[in-house]
Amino acid sequence: MQAAHKEHLYKLLVIGDLGVGKTSIIKRYVHQNFSSHYRATIGVDFALKVLHWDPETVVRLQLWDIAGQERFGNMTRVYYREAMGAFIVFDVTRPATFEAVTKWKNDLDSKLSLPNGKPVSVVLLANKCDQGKDVLTNNGLKMDQFCKEHGFVGWFETSAKENINIDEASRCLVKHILANECDLMESIEPDVVKPHLTSPKIVSCSSCAKSYRPQFWRATVLEGQRLPCYFLLGFGHGL
Amino acid sequence: MADSLPTEFDVIIIGTGLPESILAAACSRSGQRVLHLDSRSYYGGNWASFNFSGLLSWLKEYQQKSDVAEESTASWQGLIHETEEAITLRKTDETIQHTEVFCYANQDMDDKIEETDALQKNPSSLTSSTLTKPLDSACLSEETHSYVTSYEMPAKDIPKNDGEISLEVSGVEGTLAEEKYCGDETCRHTVSGGDTDENKPIEEDNTDQLKRNRITYSQIVKESRRFNIDLVSKLLYSQGLLIDLLIKSNVSRYAEFKNVTRILAFREGKVEQVPCSRADVFNSKELTMVEKRILMKFLTFCLDYEQHPDQYQAFMQCSFSEYLKTKKLTPNLQHFVLHSIAMTESSCTTIDGLKATKNFLQCLGRFGNTPFLFPLYGQGEIPQCFCRMCAVFGGIYCLRHKVQCLVVDKESGRCKAIIDHLGQRINAKYFIVEDSYLSEKTCSNIQYKQISRAVLITDQSILKTDSDQQISILIVPPADSGTCAVRVTELCSSTMTCMKDTYLVHLTCSSSKTAREDLESVVKKLFTPYTEAAINEEELTKPRLLWALYFNMRDSSGVSRSSYNGLPSNVYVCSGPDCGLGNEHAVKQAETLFREIFPSEEFCPPPPNPEDIIFDGDDKQPEVSGTNNIIMAKLDSSEGSKNLESPGKHLEN
Repeated sequence: MQAAHKEHLYKLLVIGDLGVGKTSIIKRYVHQNFSSHYRATIGVDFALKVLHWDPETVVRLQLWDIAGQERFGNMTRVYYREAMGAFIVFDVTRPATFEAVTKWKNDLDSKLSLPNGKPVSVVLLANKCDQGKDVLTNNGLKMDQFCKEHGFVGWFETSAKENINIDEASRCLVKHILANECDLMESIEPDVVKPHLTSPKIVSCSSCAKSYRPQFWRATVLEGQRLPCYFLLGFGHGL
Repeated sequence: MADSLPTEFDVIIIGTGLPESILAAACSRSGQRVLHLDSRSYYGGNWASFNFSGLLSWLKEYQQKSDVAEESTASWQGLIHETEEAITLRKTDETIQHTEVFCYANQDMDDKIEETDALQKNPSSLTSSTLTKPLDSACLSEETHSYVTSYEMPAKDIPKNDGEISLEVSGVEGTLAEEKYCGDETCRHTVSGGDTDENKPIEEDNTDQLKRNRITYSQIVKESRRFNIDLVSKLLYSQGLLIDLLIKSNVSRYAEFKNVTRILAFREGKVEQVPCSRADVFNSKELTMVEKRILMKFLTFCLDYEQHPDQYQAFMQCSFSEYLKTKKLTPNLQHFVLHSIAMTESSCTTIDGLKATKNFLQCLGRFGNTPFLFPLYGQGEIPQCFCRMCAVFGGIYCLRHKVQCLVVDKESGRCKAIIDHLGQRINAKYFIVEDSYLSEKTCSNIQYKQISRAVLITDQSILKTDSDQQISILIVPPADSGTCAVRVTELCSSTMTCMKDTYLVHLTCSSSKTAREDLESVVKKLFTPYTEAAINEEELTKPRLLWALYFNMRDSSGVSRSSYNGLPSNVYVCSGPDCGLGNEHAVKQAETLFREIFPSEEFCPPPPNPEDIIFDGDDKQPEVSGTNNIIMAKLDSSEGSKNLESPGKHLEN
């Protein structure tokens, strides 16, 4: 096999009130296009973005939109589970969506945390900044203070329409996740079998750092007992 | 969460249990506009799983049921027109009875623990903990649906007495705990208390190693989030209807499973492992060579018993246990086949026994050494997986949303709307209601069965081996003929349902008395209560009980549609969980109802190929649809296999 080459797969959540532009941001980021034509998100679980982080590292991002229909705040655990980071989005032209930001953040922290107990990294996106009505974010210092107080790793003024700052915001989030993951690796018990760390190709994914899923993944994957369903297909059976 | 609910739907589904959730996914998948409601603050109804403090809150709700204040609900009478009549729904759930909690673990009084990660409470029953939480309540707006509320269960509130604990949490205690929390957390205001509790799990784990087997109650409370305690204890047959449906509909992408690793038998006071695969039989140390040969011969015959009618035809009228005696099986083997493989009652007929044995054998080896799968994080994940599918296809979800009544058009006799607790009238064509929502008047003719359940937290496995990560199922045959066999499922921590160094044990049987009366004798046979004094006694060969809960759950699975009084024809009823081991009843019910409502629609077909989904339906660029599409997890593509888990990859290396 090839020389050391790291590949990471992270599940990221895109959260925020209805109509703040979550889907547009994902679409802009993943497909490089934008449509002002609004339609609720139907039939789509997540979009995949592949980042060539550095010559040795490929990062695959699964961007999970809340099905607009879970908008009453009743997300299933399936949505949160195993996420490594999140964007919380608000619309700078609608102050109410900013007020909801802390609610979304609290909800996220109450439902999800990294195996070491820390909250997942979250970047705050002040979307629709192209519309020039961003009274809220005019005061950058205040926003910095807000992020610090509420545990966001950073904030960006974004525009899905004009493609402003979306790549930057994503790089910021990924940077924090990668840094976090280094911590997580060290915190894993030393006597666990680690064939994957010594094998030439290191596959690391967000499942390695599931919320409340500690060390088992390596051992159990080796035993072949962890069986996600797509893996179950095509198995023979019988005695 | 900010806007109000639309008022026109095709299907309104009330209750988020497994059959309702499957139906929701099926309806939404076939293009229906679905509104899916639950009056509770969590998904799953009686199919839910809770973390430890969530379970305590759940218990508290049932124990306090008597003093649930009638919340100020908008009056609906004025909304009913002259040509209509109303069928009211039940206001409080009455499916859970006889809850009893016993704590055996040491309840360390000095350890001040708060656990804030519990289920979100109904607005009607918000406790003082929310009110004493200045930071959180500042974040809450005036909406009726409180968005983030949590519930404290300080361990120090639990009085140390003869083992029976009270679940009272006084407001005063809650305030003290909360003040302490606020004081410590001045720099990180909005990170919830649950996280601060969990800040140093690694160090904690190390100390666990030193004082192993001395799990205290406060540790259980502190590690609350590691528990996912199922209200119903079920497994998936690896060739069963639910697995087939999960795979077919691609809802499987949301779920992960572990194979049950052992089938156990309880015979002459001893727990032993049942050999079920060919390899097991040949490796078994308990069986003699002759027994191995006889068992293999019999199991091989069962796999295609239909081909050999001469072997069983003469015994059609006998019970399966009688039949086994004629097959020269030793008592040992008869016990294994009857209770652990066929898992039938002794009275079952030869043909049913053969059928069950064949089913068991066919499910073997599909994914592992036993025929059963257990969903990681608990059974409660499964309804949520279907709900997510429904939401992805446009279904709208509202928990904590009570429905006051169904509105029926007098002339046509059909239901046309519901009126919710906000007094909003929501119209639909079809209504699917879980049984527990129907009023006493509607259900007055019905005699319900009951399920007896026990949930135990223990410190060791009922059958120790070199691996402490075993998932086991054990059938304890009835002690006397009047009672039922008890199904015991033991889950280890790698199933993500209990904390490290503990086991979560579920006991289930169909009730003849209260849950404790039905199950306590089996609990005593298998476990010994945890006490400091007993540490050196020989009783210690048994695992010790740290905590136990008993309750009865109503089983509405046998109720026929015609027994309900006065339900319009377009109101369909789903039952609560049944007592069986598999989920076949729920899947069958969902599929039957779906075919009844939409005879021409396919039931849960796989989602369309991702390439065919036009994201956002941008009409202006039809020719570049290739780049306009969203990538989804495909069942068979390389991306799909990479998705979250990549077992293939790991194994290749």
